[in-house]
Amino acid sequence: MKAVGLDVGSLNVKAVILDGSSAVSFAMLTVSEGAEPSARAALDEAIISSKLNGDELYIVATGVGGKAISFSQQQKAITTCLARGVHYLFPAARMVVDVGAETTTVLKINDRGRVTDWAGQDKCAAGTGMFLQAMAKIMQVSLKDMAEYSLRAKNRADITGTCAVFAESEVISHIHRVPPTPKEEIIAGIHASMVSRIMGLLKRLGIEKEVAVVGGVALDGGFIHVLEEELGFKVLVPENPQMVAALGAAILAKENLEKGVR
Amino acid sequence: MTTSETKRNHIESLLRACRLVSRINKNRPDCKKSELMYYQMLDKYFNNVQRAKQENGFLAAHTIFFPVEILYAMGITPLHNEVTTWTTALLLGNQAEFLTAGAEAGMAPEICSPHRGLAGGFYRQMLPRADVILWTNLICDNSAKAGEYLMELNRCPGFFLDHPFGDTQEEQAYMVEELKDMISFLEKHSGRKMNWDKLAQSVAEMDKQIKLHAEICQLRKAIPSPFPTRRFLEFLTVDYMFAGQPEATEYLVTLRDELAEMVQQKKGAVYPERFRLMTLFVPPIYLIAFLENLFQEYGAVSATEPLFTYWKYSPLDPSKPLESVVKKSYLIPESRTMYGPLGESTLQDIRDCARDYRVDGCIYYAFMGCRHTCATVKMFKDTLNEIDIPVLTLDCDLVDPTINSQSEVRDKMEQFFELLEDR
Repeated sequence: MKAVGLDVGSLNVKAVILDGSSAVSFAMLTVSEGAEPSARAALDEAIISSKLNGDELYIVATGVGGKAISFSQQQKAITTCLARGVHYLFPAARMVVDVGAETTTVLKINDRGRVTDWAGQDKCAAGTGMFLQAMAKIMQVSLKDMAEYSLRAKNRADITGTCAVFAESEVISHIHRVPPTPKEEIIAGIHASMVSRIMGLLKRLGIEKEVAVVGGVALDGGFIHVLEEELGFKVLVPENPQMVAALGAAILAKENLEKGVR
Repeated sequence: MTTSETKRNHIESLLRACRLVSRINKNRPDCKKSELMYYQMLDKYFNNVQRAKQENGFLAAHTIFFPVEILYAMGITPLHNEVTTWTTALLLGNQAEFLTAGAEAGMAPEICSPHRGLAGGFYRQMLPRADVILWTNLICDNSAKAGEYLMELNRCPGFFLDHPFGDTQEEQAYMVEELKDMISFLEKHSGRKMNWDKLAQSVAEMDKQIKLHAEICQLRKAIPSPFPTRRFLEFLTVDYMFAGQPEATEYLVTLRDELAEMVQQKKGAVYPERFRLMTLFVPPIYLIAFLENLFQEYGAVSATEPLFTYWKYSPLDPSKPLESVVKKSYLIPESRTMYGPLGESTLQDIRDCARDYRVDGCIYYAFMGCRHTCATVKMFKDTLNEIDIPVLTLDCDLVDPTINSQSEVRDKMEQFFELLEDR
């Protein structure tokens, strides 16, 4: 029996299959026709690329749509899954910053990969992946080029809005200034505004080394650079930061299998 | 005040709701006698309010932590502003109507929602017009600022009872003088005289009630904990509305005996009991039934609420009624732990409760309209984290359902229970 983790997010669904302690396959698909069909499609894709032959699966689902997955054996909270996933990848990590499409969550974890505390920002899109996507559109820059611009900036534009809509107005006012604020500075300012919200969450819990950053936004090197500057030390970023919650769910599935839970 | 419909007296609706709940409770096999008594008490309370207006009585609307025993001893009918608003939210579910009226009355959304609601209630005449407004700074800043506007809305006189932060002899003596001034004010405006014998009887009852509260606190230490989360508000309301009244004593005796029996039989409020919780501040009242179901589902129980129900007995002296009323105001857990600068004793109470009630975790209901509640999040959380008690801080509102949805609350609670289970 193989352990599978499914992270059903608001934008993407991710599937990870474990064989023993190693991830043998993973897949990520955009949520299109509802959580369940998308999750099934992602799972099918992961199964095909894993070349598993008719193995039985034990599935743990997580994420905002995790409860909607009727074919999963268990649903777990995203916080628990993130903690397990990060601990697997970085056993020394004691804090996790997860910047997903719609939420930002900061966790404290212990040396066994258990959550000891967490704080979230889920009232406003500011500071999330959706916010970054909206800002990229306004700046007419692709998401993957945001980092390049940000890293070139010598200064950062002030974007103080704690609300996504107000922050957007500030960005627009920078664009229309005479002379306009350089694109690099605006984008670095966008990253800084996101980081300032995350720093607030980190300080609420008390910053502890090492800090792992996961979720899709962790792929943005500009954001990571500003965060590291604010923290004063390097953070840990996995190769596939969007997959960590699914990986954690798969680890929980494996733990259950080892305990004989079916 | 636009239509006749908005002038509908909500006390009548509350009375109907109390009677309906009583009828339902009578048919519930698991309903305790004390629970039946509680709704009868609410019925009596709001009936008195209704009668005060219909039979030329004198109605004093007052803010929270006001010494109602003085009013009872003078034959004045009390109307507890905050409890009336949240009882409405709980029983009628029409808090939106009160809050909308509050906005019409000029109350900003940042203001404490029960205060917004009660201002709206008076503004739209959903509550009966008070003959006097009585308000105090104990323990809430909003209360201290609310009085003048409530007087304006009710077109009536009012009295502000200035409660000192500290409990030195001088401060207690000052408070006694404040009570004397208030009694003179009430005698002048109501035409009623203080019945000192009745006040002394009230003090004797209060003494018994504090003892009973402390006994109930002891019983709740049992594993499994015998007191269900949903009845937490009863515990508060009985003191807020009926302090010093014989029916409150009778209720507390019944409750104590019921809990003692459950402890003896090793019966818990939830089965199986998996998570013993400490809760800080007041849960969203409009979600109380939902929270109870969620707690039942996860085997969670609020075993202790150090800021609200953690009474410590100290004797009152009926021969010194005013001094005793003052002393009691400092014994109320809320005023002992939250009024004035935050002292080490409050943090110690929290640590003691965590140890004595053997709690696994704490839920901090961070009521966003309450400065008191939000100011202490960090300190209380750090205090508990130091002794390895995880804390869930749940941003919420007491009666305003627009702050967070049921599903959001469920998600956060489930994450927290998972954290506790996974430790």
